[in-house]
Amino acid sequence: MISTGTRNRLQDTVDAARARWPEVLSLSVDPYYQIADLRCPPALLPDLAEWLVADRAYAFGGLVVEDADARWDLRYLFYGTRGAGQVHLVAASGKPAVVPSISPRVHAADWHEREAEDLFGLVFEGHPRLGDFVLHNEIWPEAVVPLRQDVGLDRLRPRPEPDPGWRPLRVVQAPGAFLMPVGPIYSDVTAPTFFILETVGEDVIRVFPRLFYAYRGVEKIAVGRSVEDVLLLAERVAATSSFAHSLAFCQAVEALAGVRLPARARVLRSILAELERLRYHVGVLRDVCEATALAVAASQAAILEEELLRLSCVLTGHRYLFGMNRPGGLTRDVEDSQLHKAARDLEAIETRIGELWQGLRSTPSFLDRVEEVGILSQADALFHGLVGPVARASGVARDLRVDQPYGGYDLFEVTVPLEQEGDGFARLQVWVAEALEAVRLIRRGVMALPGGPVSVSCDPVPGAGLGWVEAPGGAAFHWVRVGDGGRVLRYRLITPSFTNWHGFHLAAERFAFQDFPIILATFGLSVPENDR
Amino acid sequence: MTPVALLGLLLALCGAGALLAVVLPDRRLPEGVAGVGALASLSLVWLGSAGLASPHTPGLRLWTVPELGTLTLVVDPLSSLFVLLCGLVYLPVSLYSLGYLRHYVGRAGLRRFGVLYHGLCGSVALVLLAGDVLTFLLAWEAMAVLSYLLVVFDDDRDSSIRAGWMMLAVGEAGTLAGALAFFLLAAAARSGEFAAMRHAVATLPEGLRWGVFLLAFFGFGVKAGLVPMSSWLPRAHPAAPGNVSALLSGVIVNLGIYGIVRVVLDIAPPQTLGPGVVALLVGSLSALIGILYATTQTDLKVVLAHSSVEHMGIVTAAIGAGLVFRASGHPVLAAMADLAALYHLGNHALFKALLFLGAGAVDRGAGLRDMDRLGGLVKRMPGTALAVLGGTLSIAALPPLNGFVTEWLVLQTLLRSVVLRETVVKIVFALCGAALALTAALAVTAFVRAYAMSFLGIPRSKEAAQAREVHPTMVGAMVGLSLACLGAGVLPTFIIATLDRVVAPLVHAHVLDALVPPFFAPAAAVPPLPQAFLKEFYALGAQVGRGIVPGRGLVVLHRGGPQNPVVFAMSTSYMVVVLLLFVGVTGAVVRVLARRKVVRAPCWAGGLWRLPPDMTYTATGFSTPVRVVFRAVFHPSAPEEVVDTVGGYWRRAVKRIPHETYVVDRLVSRPLTRGARRVADALATLHHGYINAYVAYVLATLLILLAVGRMP
Amino acid sequence: MTRWVLRGLGTGVKTTPYPEEDERADGVTPGRPAAAAVGSGAHESLVARCPSGALTEGPRGIEVDMRRCVHCYRCSRGPDAPLPWRTDYQWASVREGVRPLGRPWARSLHILVVDAGDCGACLREVRQLTSPYYNLHRLGFFITPTPRLADLLLVVGPVTAPMVWPLQRAYEAMPTPKRVIAVGACALSTGVFGPSPLCRAVAEVLPVDVEVPGSPPPPLAILHGLLVAAGRAPSRGVVG
Repeated sequence: MISTGTRNRLQDTVDAARARWPEVLSLSVDPYYQIADLRCPPALLPDLAEWLVADRAYAFGGLVVEDADARWDLRYLFYGTRGAGQVHLVAASGKPAVVPSISPRVHAADWHEREAEDLFGLVFEGHPRLGDFVLHNEIWPEAVVPLRQDVGLDRLRPRPEPDPGWRPLRVVQAPGAFLMPVGPIYSDVTAPTFFILETVGEDVIRVFPRLFYAYRGVEKIAVGRSVEDVLLLAERVAATSSFAHSLAFCQAVEALAGVRLPARARVLRSILAELERLRYHVGVLRDVCEATALAVAASQAAILEEELLRLSCVLTGHRYLFGMNRPGGLTRDVEDSQLHKAARDLEAIETRIGELWQGLRSTPSFLDRVEEVGILSQADALFHGLVGPVARASGVARDLRVDQPYGGYDLFEVTVPLEQEGDGFARLQVWVAEALEAVRLIRRGVMALPGGPVSVSCDPVPGAGLGWVEAPGGAAFHWVRVGDGGRVLRYRLITPSFTNWHGFHLAAERFAFQDFPIILATFGLSVPENDR
Repeated sequence: MTPVALLGLLLALCGAGALLAVVLPDRRLPEGVAGVGALASLSLVWLGSAGLASPHTPGLRLWTVPELGTLTLVVDPLSSLFVLLCGLVYLPVSLYSLGYLRHYVGRAGLRRFGVLYHGLCGSVALVLLAGDVLTFLLAWEAMAVLSYLLVVFDDDRDSSIRAGWMMLAVGEAGTLAGALAFFLLAAAARSGEFAAMRHAVATLPEGLRWGVFLLAFFGFGVKAGLVPMSSWLPRAHPAAPGNVSALLSGVIVNLGIYGIVRVVLDIAPPQTLGPGVVALLVGSLSALIGILYATTQTDLKVVLAHSSVEHMGIVTAAIGAGLVFRASGHPVLAAMADLAALYHLGNHALFKALLFLGAGAVDRGAGLRDMDRLGGLVKRMPGTALAVLGGTLSIAALPPLNGFVTEWLVLQTLLRSVVLRETVVKIVFALCGAALALTAALAVTAFVRAYAMSFLGIPRSKEAAQAREVHPTMVGAMVGLSLACLGAGVLPTFIIATLDRVVAPLVHAHVLDALVPPFFAPAAAVPPLPQAFLKEFYALGAQVGRGIVPGRGLVVLHRGGPQNPVVFAMSTSYMVVVLLLFVGVTGAVVRVLARRKVVRAPCWAGGLWRLPPDMTYTATGFSTPVRVVFRAVFHPSAPEEVVDTVGGYWRRAVKRIPHETYVVDRLVSRPLTRGARRVADALATLHHGYINAYVAYVLATLLILLAVGRMP
Repeated sequence: MTRWVLRGLGTGVKTTPYPEEDERADGVTPGRPAAAAVGSGAHESLVARCPSGALTEGPRGIEVDMRRCVHCYRCSRGPDAPLPWRTDYQWASVREGVRPLGRPWARSLHILVVDAGDCGACLREVRQLTSPYYNLHRLGFFITPTPRLADLLLVVGPVTAPMVWPLQRAYEAMPTPKRVIAVGACALSTGVFGPSPLCRAVAEVLPVDVEVPGSPPPPLAILHGLLVAAGRAPSRGVVG
């Protein structure tokens, strides 16, 4: 998984950090996973974070906040490109917290800090927009902080009725400006989101997506449950990327337990992950065709999606690949003959995806609605730390399969598509190219599938571990801390939809109302994945 | 009473009103002004009716001014019509003033208002009844000054004072042009009297006739608010207090049309097609520009002011069509066009006065006129809302109200251009007809928006949420006007019969037979209609009402040749009966058969617990598509945008400041002003301060005058 | 555009023969555990393995409350006497005392779909209903975005705290007669998210008439549920 060159680059970064800021301590450098933990005082966080992102070309992955009794433990995750490993900034603060916000410098941390403030009550100094984020102010009184250790689930009491005085923040000041509300129940079959579009009539000046209508409190429910039960939660947080999230969770537990998987398990996991990616991407293609009202194309894509769901069910027993992953491997094997048949079926599907895409590219009315619409610049994508196909369509070449290889991906050469224009068409090109690449990866995996067991025993020992995957929507990180008796003390999921929803408004603003659903469809975002 | 006696009564009442305004105690002033005003308007109505009914045209010679001529007043059908219209508007405005002026009790200006009000009434009557140039101009100037004083009566803001001043200044320029037209005619006739001018017009050369037309049309067009000259109207009407705005749009703009009609239709009708085409084009352009701005402005009164421009444009277009038909030798069609124009003018006076009174009521009840901040007034001000609804439906030209009748008549008349010979003129008619049709469609948009944003929905501001219904006399006056609108729409055949008497002397042709077939008379008296069609119409019920309803019939029907017996037909009278029957029967059936109660539930807002008012469409948002499509007219410069952020990335405010100039200002007024300034600046080089040069100027002027004076 | 028309025509008919005939293709349903007697010694451990309490010990062996089954497969994979598995899909049932909608609605039903906090699987399966494979329009079912035109309220997902009131507003905005169909284990019993102030079962917020269990129920099961709501298919019991 790791080459000697990597060790040097990561070590170089650690040494440079310590040289520049003597208060920084290097806690550990994990040689296998290439993760360096740097402890620093909270006051240094903004400078260090900015330096890592701007000078050392790391990307901000997420913030993990843990409530240890007398202090807050903060862990800022940064990951680099291939060979640069990961740098985790570890800081501790007493209670009440005195932690500076890094968001003005590393804007990708914006929503992480807001979420921590809402759920923990941890205030980041210098962040101007804390509050009314995860816990909606008209429903929850201010003092509710569910993720704190001393707050039990049964103590959470919402208001008996929504507060009628709640108003969204209004930004646009123009004669005749008004808010166009979309949601939380809107359109035919959609997840609950409340979009507030500020406009003066034709084009949308500001988009404010108000999320967390599907907030189920997964991170809170997980506390005190066994690892197997939290695995069920990981699968059901966002079922369209269920396998990817359960994979990340299992990898976290495996990292924690120090378990190495047999080869067949790793390759099989990669095959199934690519199958899920393929089905997700075809689903995005279908959503875009429906948004542009191309009925026949949408039907063709829907046929493909249903066939992939059925294929998933034939291979694993469940259409969304539930119940396949477990810490230590897979819960059941898949017969080689079935896999070979699936690979042959996928060839036909690959051809049909190609034909569908070719047809779409030659339909001028379709191109009119996606070309030059919903433009996201590379600078914006980098600054907001966007991930996945959305970022790759804006020229940000980051993919965890390549940058931080995991599972069976060290055996494959993954070609990551990259586009520069950042408009809807570029994103579509990336979605389709990745879908076709997924088919190729599955075929290669099936050819190279070794025999052997598909799982080893994995007993979780107390400790903490990080698992990461390139989910269909982008980079996902799962952080698990296990206590005595195999009970989970802290479970943090950082999902690609959470990262990308943050930057969605950049693409949707300045375009007309009619373009809004199409831009939303080209982003391929998942609401339950963001809301957890 | 004879018209002359009525005129005396009117003038006496006006004088009495002015006197009372000075003498009465403060608290009684509103009643005094309103009461005498109502009496004066009743006498106006009586005078107008008497003038219309009387078969001859009585005149009155007042005193003779040496060297200039005799002041004469003539009561002919055209004047009587305008006097009647004036009275029909003055009456509800006076009643409205009873409640409206209470607000001003105790203020010094109220007495002045009373004097000006009655003075205006008198001067308007004198303008309309003037029989010679001198009377006309004297009364006209009095009217201009009095209306200016009324406009700037209340408001101290800079923009309002400038608006009034602009009205006066531009108005004077128009008056100058109109006066020049009159002087040309007087020079040809060697007399200032209109009767003499009428006879002398045949001797005028073609160029001079064109000159008279252009001067009169564009000069009086200023007062009417036609497009190249309309800069003052959208500024002055909103600046005036509520009842004065109604007078401006209901009475004063009519005077502009009166001037045009008097000179161009009565005294010096053109004999070529050119002037008619010019009038048609100017009218259509005014209509389109007026309605475009009415659709996109957010101040209620500004919307109504632009709408006045639109309707004056329609009237002018109809007059233009009439001129073309007349010059082409189709006097009946010319009469039809002129009748449509005058009918529309009357209807406009009624519904525009109603709408302006409504706007004034909204201003009084809610304290603001900005549609982006109004809303929900139908619950707080139900009487006003109902009355204004009547006006809105009329101005949007919905049957069976009066706006529909005249818009329909105007468009049908334009369609009659098929009988013309010149293709170019026919194309012009087609284009203008299309423009007017577009105008009608935009009018619906504009007034749906105006009514919905102000009265319907939820209140968008605290003031709107706390609006109060206004004084009952104000509501009563508005309701009366909306009933008049309904009446004018439902009884078109009677009004056409009356207007025929006005139009016939102008074009020397009767149009009554061409428009209202006598269905109530014995069948034998209708020979031109073939029997088959007659039977069909009787089967449709065209004879219902015979013996009950006086007059010729209730169907407006134009007959073509034998191949085309019915060119167009319409009956709002029957329409109203059918509508009432339909509504009544359906309502009764629903009442009887309905098994479930109606449930009132909150509006579905996507699951929101409550829909706050800032999440509803504003008037600006509603009109943005029109603004975008007609970009070429509005020519908005890119709005200035200022983004205010915290920490560089979190936006606190995005300010958008739009910059837009009225198209007439942009294309006409500003260039003219700039040109005038440049000329003035060039001439200013003469003001250099050297006294020697000034002495030289005086000498030069003296020499020039001596040289000129010596010329024979 | 002709290219698309020809391509569409060339694809042929993909629609499932359900409900006239049984659908026999592979992969249309994840199946479900079936009640069975699996050897008395294994009962206790099997019941304990179920994370959502769907298995109970009854007189004739293990009984399955399908409303609670979250498809974790723990009872069917693993060494201890796994439960037998049925690959059927007609799982919907009507709650007691509920009248069917009535004749006018039996042939045409308008459905409002509300996601009250779903993980995405049930919602995606509902979306598959409009795909050519299932095509609910041929059965007279239509999805409408507004409650004013809806006869049936289809709720997926556990009801989160912010969605309680929008759901109630949607129900209130529907004209009578109206019915509610709750789809998915989370909607029926909150599944693995457990009853808490953050997640509730739909029955705590609205009167539920038809229940479709599964995690997620495949499109055919949802179709069956719609047919049950319209009174065109018999309700199946949830036990066994």
